[in-house]
Amino acid sequence: MNPVKDAAATAALGWAPGLMTAAFLLFFVGWTLWAWWPSNRANMEAAARLPLDDGDAP
Amino acid sequence: MSHDPPTYDDLSVRRFITATVLWGIVGMLVGVVLALQLAWWPANLGLPWTSFGRLRPLHTNAVIFAFTGNALFAGIYYSMQRLLKVRMWSDRLSSFHFWGWQAIIVSAAVTLPLGMTQSKEYAELIWPVDLAIAVVWVAFAINFFGTIAIRKVRHLYVAIWFYMSMVITIAVLHIVNNLAMPATLTRSYPVFSGMTDALVQWWYGHNAVGFLLTTPILGLMYYFLPRAAERPVYSYRLSIIHFWGLVFLYIWAGPHHLLYSALPDWAQTLGMVFSIMLLAPSWGGMLNGLLTLRGAWDRLRTDPVLKFFVVGITFYGMSTFEGPMMSIRTVNALSHYTDWTIAHVHQGALGWVGMTMFGMLYWLAPRVWNRPLHSVSAATTHFWLATVGIVLYIVSMWVAGVTQGLMWRAITPDGLLQYPNFLDTLTALKPFYWIRVVGGTMYLAGMVLLAWNLWRTAHPSARSLTPTATVEAA
Repeated sequence: MNPVKDAAATAALGWAPGLMTAAFLLFFVGWTLWAWWPSNRANMEAAARLPLDDGDAP
Repeated sequence: MSHDPPTYDDLSVRRFITATVLWGIVGMLVGVVLALQLAWWPANLGLPWTSFGRLRPLHTNAVIFAFTGNALFAGIYYSMQRLLKVRMWSDRLSSFHFWGWQAIIVSAAVTLPLGMTQSKEYAELIWPVDLAIAVVWVAFAINFFGTIAIRKVRHLYVAIWFYMSMVITIAVLHIVNNLAMPATLTRSYPVFSGMTDALVQWWYGHNAVGFLLTTPILGLMYYFLPRAAERPVYSYRLSIIHFWGLVFLYIWAGPHHLLYSALPDWAQTLGMVFSIMLLAPSWGGMLNGLLTLRGAWDRLRTDPVLKFFVVGITFYGMSTFEGPMMSIRTVNALSHYTDWTIAHVHQGALGWVGMTMFGMLYWLAPRVWNRPLHSVSAATTHFWLATVGIVLYIVSMWVAGVTQGLMWRAITPDGLLQYPNFLDTLTALKPFYWIRVVGGTMYLAGMVLLAWNLWRTAHPSARSLTPTATVEAA
């Protein structure tokens, strides 16, 4: 039993980090595409004005 | 549509503003005392309760959790009700949140000078107080998500996402880092040990900076800056990328606090790489903030609120450049354990957090007390006191830190330490410590001016209520 090798194997975690990285990257690319999608432009501009629309009572 | 502010819960906002100012003065006063103690040791007074080791955690806890915490809550309660067009879900929970948070701060102010501590940086409070924090935070979270659930606006503005990241992440960080086995009422033992404990501590410590001192304040920036500038944020799309980029990267950066330690090399590299990548979303957010002012730069001449915001955002850009740079191993070898770190921390705390919160308070107070700001010129004076104070503080600590690092590393031709006596370094740093005392005192003086200005705004004299004597709201 080699404790250094065991620690290295634990750190490597097989394919999991690669899968996580790919998933996070896809997630990020997805959000970016959503934000810049041409049909969302009007919604984004309306959302940007939300802080300025302070006149509505709850 | 009619404007009907009384239907919002502004009482909680006023309470949190009052607590912000009160604890801000306390926290910064203790900071100045500590600066004095480092320049002139008799200021420790020879008493255990007033010694540097006990007052230092009081200062950090007061500024982070009491000053910044209360300011965040004031801004969040004000903005989220207006962004969601609904009153807070539960007035009772809002009240419990306010009084519970103040009780925790008072207990910290009592236990820390008495020497009761867990000895974890920014998590010094003993386990009964930690339990109270968890309970109060969960109450706030229930009220927060309850308000989102009953909202009357479908879209969640980006500021709400930033707040949400704080509510969730701080709960997780606080609970995990404070997992401990109580031994007595005031003493406990952490469930983690050795390097694991250090890693968990700095996962907590760094993300406390990220999710208490950065993301919620960015959320406040995305609400209050457009309000103060009277124009929408420069790019709403960029703000969304800013949010996701920042929260994804921040959570991995903690190991940069443990470079050259027993932490496995790959984990140190991971922390360093993610820290460097943080520069991208951070600067995206900074530019988004500054560009929001396009077409309104002329107002900087007269509007102290915008002055505070612009300097605050600029300091955000500076400290988010310096932070990644300091996380690079070779730079860290020089900067770690020196006053350079103190300069970096205060660049964020005094520059980014403090200035942005001051801008918000000057904008907010006239609106929640429904009176014009008592003195715009006093607010402007505060701005200059704070700005010059920060510059004195940071520049002196930069010079002190680099001096310290270079002296520690200096080697004679024989391979021996050139300055083996620690006192050599201390003597060299003393002038810079005095400059810090001056800078800190100026910043504190500005805070006192803010307290006076807001007090007079909330409680105007009969004379100042006459139409000719009133001052326009900022």
